[in-house]
Amino acid sequence: MSALDGTQPKPEDALAAVGALRRLADRVEDDAVERALADGWTWLRIAEALGVTKQAVHQKHAKRLKEK
Amino acid sequence: MFERFTKTAREVVLQAINVEAAALGARTVEAEHLLLALSQTIGVEHDTLIKALEAETAASLNAVGVSLRPHPSPSQTRQPRMGASAKIALHRALEMALARGDREIRAEHVALGVLAADVGTVPRALAIAGLDREGLAAKL
Repeated sequence: MSALDGTQPKPEDALAAVGALRRLADRVEDDAVERALADGWTWLRIAEALGVTKQAVHQKHAKRLKEK
Repeated sequence: MFERFTKTAREVVLQAINVEAAALGARTVEAEHLLLALSQTIGVEHDTLIKALEAETAASLNAVGVSLRPHPSPSQTRQPRMGASAKIALHRALEMALARGDREIRAEHVALGVLAADVGTVPRALAIAGLDREGLAAKL
């Protein structure tokens, strides 16, 4: 990783990377929650695996996944 | 805010929300989604813009040592909220219309608002695609 091997990315690249990482994390989470539910996971188990409260994960995903 | 937008400008915003941001599985509508909805207005192919945005994401992640493997888009998407960069772009559109003495906010003003940003995803993606941001704005 460039930030760890001594070569620092330019601030504009690092700042853009933060946004890209957040968007990537959101997509990975959406997809993973969807597949966990399809596999029969409970909201509580998903929440524990994500390290957030059940309320948080439910609020973020339940409506989205019910609307289909 | 949208009462002064023309029908076309409203359609651009709605397309950014319901089509572009939704298709990419985004949680928030950002300036890049407005840009995609404005592809006809600025005269750049939609596909060219999509590829530019993908290249920008890959380049930005690469700058911090992360390589992107294609990841499936979520099949069930949410209604995205307006994000910070889209709000700034729309605010700029309003200011630019006022500065020009225009009473209505047209799609061209929205495009100017999006193209005015010199930092963030949009200018980076345009630069990567070799598209001249200021040149595109000058044609509006």
